Amino acid sequence: MVKGTNDRVVNTVVFVILFGCGLAAVFPLLYVLSVSLTPFSEVLKNGGFILIPKSITFDAYRKLLTESNIPSAFKVTVLVTVIGTILNLVVTALMAYPLSRKQLPGRKFFLMMVVFTLLFSGGIIPTYLVVKALGLLDTIWAMILPNLVWSFNVLIMKSFYESLPEELFESARIDGAKEFRILLQIVAPLSIPVTMTIGLFYTVGHWNEFFQAIMYVTDRTLFPLQVVVREILIQTQQPLENVDNMTPGETLQMASVIMASLPIIVVYPFLQKHFTKGMLLGSVKG
Amino acid sequence: MRRMKIVSVMLAVFMLSCSVLAGCSSGNSSNGEASDANKPANAAAGNANQPADAAADNGAPAKDAEGSGASAGAVKLDIIETGNNLPTPDKDFIKQAIDKAIQTDLNLTVYASGDDYKNQLNVRMASGNFPDLFQVPDRAALKQFVDQGLLLDLTPYMDKLQDVKGFIGDESLKKTTMGGDVYAIPKAPNIPYNTYWIRKDWLDKLGLQPPSTIDEFLNVTKAFAEQDPDGNGKKDTIGLTGSKFSTFAPIFGAFGVGDPNTFYVKEGKLVNSLYDPAMKDALAFIKKLIDTGAVDPEIMANTGLQHQEKAIKGQAGIVWIDWPNLSKDQFTEQIKKVNPNADWIQLAPPKGPGGQYDGPFDAGGTSGMYAIPKALENDKEKLQKVFDLLNYVSGTDGSQLVQFGIKGTHFNLEGDKVVPTDLMGKEAGFTWLYQFTGRPEMAYLQTKFAPQSKYIEFANSQPRIQILNGFLSNPDGYNPADATRFIEEEFVKFIYGKNPIAGYDAFLKTLEASMNFKTYMDASTKQLEDLGYGK
Repeated sequence: MVKGTNDRVVNTVVFVILFGCGLAAVFPLLYVLSVSLTPFSEVLKNGGFILIPKSITFDAYRKLLTESNIPSAFKVTVLVTVIGTILNLVVTALMAYPLSRKQLPGRKFFLMMVVFTLLFSGGIIPTYLVVKALGLLDTIWAMILPNLVWSFNVLIMKSFYESLPEELFESARIDGAKEFRILLQIVAPLSIPVTMTIGLFYTVGHWNEFFQAIMYVTDRTLFPLQVVVREILIQTQQPLENVDNMTPGETLQMASVIMASLPIIVVYPFLQKHFTKGMLLGSVKG
Repeated sequence: MRRMKIVSVMLAVFMLSCSVLAGCSSGNSSNGEASDANKPANAAAGNANQPADAAADNGAPAKDAEGSGASAGAVKLDIIETGNNLPTPDKDFIKQAIDKAIQTDLNLTVYASGDDYKNQLNVRMASGNFPDLFQVPDRAALKQFVDQGLLLDLTPYMDKLQDVKGFIGDESLKKTTMGGDVYAIPKAPNIPYNTYWIRKDWLDKLGLQPPSTIDEFLNVTKAFAEQDPDGNGKKDTIGLTGSKFSTFAPIFGAFGVGDPNTFYVKEGKLVNSLYDPAMKDALAFIKKLIDTGAVDPEIMANTGLQHQEKAIKGQAGIVWIDWPNLSKDQFTEQIKKVNPNADWIQLAPPKGPGGQYDGPFDAGGTSGMYAIPKALENDKEKLQKVFDLLNYVSGTDGSQLVQFGIKGTHFNLEGDKVVPTDLMGKEAGFTWLYQFTGRPEMAYLQTKFAPQSKYIEFANSQPRIQILNGFLSNPDGYNPADATRFIEEEFVKFIYGKNPIAGYDAFLKTLEASMNFKTYMDASTKQLEDLGYGK
């Protein structure tokens, strides 16, 4: 590769810009992490702003793990995420596969129905009534079933399935396979990238579960992580609610943020390559 | 067999991808079993610990269910309110004690954010899934629910609520009366907490006295900003901070007016502060104060406790704040860590042409009110339990329980005096969530916050302008949010010199013309006169 002066200038500029963007993304994270690890007195002395901690303490984390509701909320969130994601993927795949087959009778109609839900929804109160009538209130299922299928993900998956060469299906059919078997033995193994991508969407969605928990769950022991973390964070946003309240210090707040987001941050890099691939295939060929 | 293989392949594929995706999947030991919200759920495994009915005990590790005190005859009561730091039921000794005392199974749910709470409440009211007792966010909400016929009229039941009535006082019930009927139970009256706080060490350093008039106040504020009271050689301090217009509450008070848009009785007549002739003078003085450049430029943007942070971090010299947020042990500790010499003292309201008032105090204000849904009318047994609960937390034993915790564990009685133990500070910080009818404020604070006693006394004994806004309900066609925002915006323009104060009358005209303010004024005046004010 020949590099002219022009190229080098362009490269430098691009590099600088990208570096700036990267820095802008890392900066807040670093701040949160540093504050969570610094003793609170140290934070206060620096006017609440610390980027590189001078002394490190895990007090905030110890306190969260022993004295707050975070450990139990963590369990609930993991449970909802695991069960939820598995169910999401199964149901989404089972929906997307038939829709990707051109010979499906009434395919257009069903697709319309799916797209319709993208644009219109029942609203909070009707949804609440349905959840209530199904007896899901105050169970972890209230955080899993109402959003079992995201239509957008069905469409991505459908596009991916459509991009698979038709010959594969034909050959399988010649060998005597029926649709269910084709899905399981031909399509599923070939669609790992898209499954990963959509699985990640669902996982992140479940991990950040907040609204449904607030709406449908009144049992404290079933509150997921985000609800508990928000409770910790919001206390300093509000004026005095009661004298007895212990306002958690900034250190504690930041520690709770780290605890809530760390798992996803850790998982993300490993899924990134699938992620781009799955999304690309889904969008280009759709 | 083939089918089995297919299934297992499918499972393998999905499980594999899922377990990779889910990352850390530790501790997913259990699962909650669904059941109708009204029936006690089975505790299928450790995680679903809605108190299991004794009969429904299926041998699961009932680590949570055991302590709930729920016996076969217990009536389940759903209660929702705003709050935070409620422990899980197995650690919630207040719930267990109440359950035991009146044979209930309380399910209290608290919401940290007022907005979340309102959402939850509205959805439940709209869908007919009523909680058995709930906090009403404000008087506007109370009016709305009453208009919709959702609340139980408590007037006929008053004889069943004798303990409650005795505890909160007859006068308090005015706060929750609509059209002559009582629709909710307000908490017992509270006391004022707010005063100006000032850095004594800064005053000493600059050789100044605590200001006693508004002119001295202005000078001190200016000196704090300009003469480097923290001695770091940089001009990085601010004289006065606070949250929004309350920053100037005692200044308004010095002119004898209440905060913007408050009603009070002045010289025997009912006035709204906006129409008080002294309001213009107050605004002019505040403008002068701001023109010195010594007032925190962010006061209008300070939300939550940002002004407190500025005070603790040693950036501000005077702050209008409640005593808990500056003098509780937690905060004095922080203050000392930042600067061991920092010495905050309370400041009596500075004198002005209109007198000396430490801001307004709402005679109709309450720190919370609780209502019972009308639907409970038909469930006599449950209704009785709700009354039992309210009476219990208002009676001697119950009130002590929800104020201080368990007798012998969190406090001891010496004669009539409550003596806290160390455990009270550690464990009993959440008991206020169960104070549905409030508490005898002064005695409560003196017991729980003995070191802060003098601050409590001081804040409580300052003269205040008694405002009456808590008694008002908004008439139709008046949007309080819009009007409040408009007033705030215009006031900001006045005090920051964007509009001359000469334009004040024009502002009032616009307010009346565009915000339906006249309707509000008429309705409010009538409501207050009906209650006997200003006649």
